[in-house]
Amino acid sequence: MIQIRNLHKSFDQLEILKGIDLDVQSGETVVIIGPSGSGKTTFLRCLNLLETPTSGALTLADRHLQFTPGRPVAKNEMLALRRETGMVFQNYNLFPHKTALENLMEGQITVLGRSKSEAREKALRLLDKVGLADRADMYPHQLSGGQQQRVGIARAMAMDPKVLLFDEPTSALDPELVGEVLKVMKELAQEGMTMVIVTHEMKFAQDVADRVVFIDGGVIVEQGPPAEIFGAAKHERTRQFLNKLSL
Amino acid sequence: MDDRSQRILEILSSSFWPLLKAGIEFTVPLAILSFVLGLAVALLTALARLSGNRVLSGIARFYVWIIRGTPLLVQLFIIFYGLPSFGVTLAAFPSAVIGFTLSVGAYGSEIIRASIQSVPRGQWEAAYSIGMTYRQALRRIVIPQATRVAVPPLANSFISLVKDTSLAAAITMTEMFRVAQQITATTYEPLVLYSEAAVIYLVFSTVLSWLQGWLEVRFSRHVAK
Ligand SMILES: Nc1ncnc2c1ncn2[C@@H]1O[C@H](COP(=O)(O)OP(=O)(O)O)[C@@H](O)[C@H]1O
Ligand SMILES: [Mg+2]
Repeated sequence: MIQIRNLHKSFDQLEILKGIDLDVQSGETVVIIGPSGSGKTTFLRCLNLLETPTSGALTLADRHLQFTPGRPVAKNEMLALRRETGMVFQNYNLFPHKTALENLMEGQITVLGRSKSEAREKALRLLDKVGLADRADMYPHQLSGGQQQRVGIARAMAMDPKVLLFDEPTSALDPELVGEVLKVMKELAQEGMTMVIVTHEMKFAQDVADRVVFIDGGVIVEQGPPAEIFGAAKHERTRQFLNKLSL
Repeated sequence: MDDRSQRILEILSSSFWPLLKAGIEFTVPLAILSFVLGLAVALLTALARLSGNRVLSGIARFYVWIIRGTPLLVQLFIIFYGLPSFGVTLAAFPSAVIGFTLSVGAYGSEIIRASIQSVPRGQWEAAYSIGMTYRQALRRIVIPQATRVAVPPLANSFISLVKDTSLAAAITMTEMFRVAQQITATTYEPLVLYSEAAVIYLVFSTVLSWLQGWLEVRFSRHVAK
């Protein structure tokens, strides 16, 4: 589903991603872990071109993009790629002037050209799926963080993406609200959604991930099934990182 | 009642309708037309400033610099008395509309620019992440949120504009203030006429302030804090 080859990203002169290669299969749930500042967010944002990679190649759902320094990506290619991906943000980034339902309808109507009734029906179905059917007409500020994030996930799903990207979806949440969001994500994983998730929820990673990828210093240090990474990491840096977390 | 009071009352009552009429026929349309056109210019100017395109943003900056740095009265004189030297002769009303539009466009562009920039970057990113183009994100997501921020200062601009239209008297437009001047010329009662005009301006501004309050409530619905 996703093929990333030798992906580099620099801000000004500072190289943040230093050559990343990663393949994600259709239906796979890949969890990315790593210390703060290691480039996880930057990497995820490169996948839907919120950041333009400096160089490298990206293939996503049969769309192939080659990045060359100084050459911007063509607008239509950028839009096409973004339509294959959905993103869930750490701070939800719901549209505050729209109800939960309207948040889910907006892109369907504006971007996909769906009819209002079609968009509405799909939005209601998704809100029901994330357990918020009764909150459809509420505005984001009337919802708890956990509810907002579930709307965020449903909003991304409403666009029928082939891949869902999550950037620390639960790290802005009070601990007691984390579970309800992770539960929704787990269900999506079980339904075969292709997902790339940056998270510090190691238990979730252990439970749900097909593969765990450890990033440090802008490179992939190690990757493998959760049991392997959490039980018997090959690299010292990975072990150190995991040790620090469990202390 | 002595003769003096009698005379003042008479002047007030006979001048009230002509003043109000000039206000309704010229002052209000001039203000509304200039404001609507000015807002369009302001939006384009703000977008040019934010575009990241050096040429466009340079032009926008230059325009704002000129308009903000020179007196409105002088600008009106240049348009009405100066442009005929270039073979461009405009009547008083269109000259005033152009002058005030340019003014609203320049000051308004700064308000609109700031209000667009006040919308968190995450809103753009969320819009892009669901596949929106720049225009869709701007129109559907950013501008509705920026509007809430822009309404109070823009309403202030409009109230200022209503009062500034009195400057058009200086380029022969028979708006309310010029009518007051004309009646003063025949009655020799400047205090009476100009105070009367002031009261009518005050009424216009007050009504607009109420409208502003209503708009602010309307646009701040559904937004926390
Ligand atoms: N837009 C940007 N401009 C400059 N530096 C950036 C930008 N975005 C991220 N960085 C830098 O890139 C590094 C990696 O950031 P990030 O990808 O957010 O890491 P992580 O998500 O793993 O914590 C940080 O040092 C950060 O300061
Ligand atoms: Mg991050």
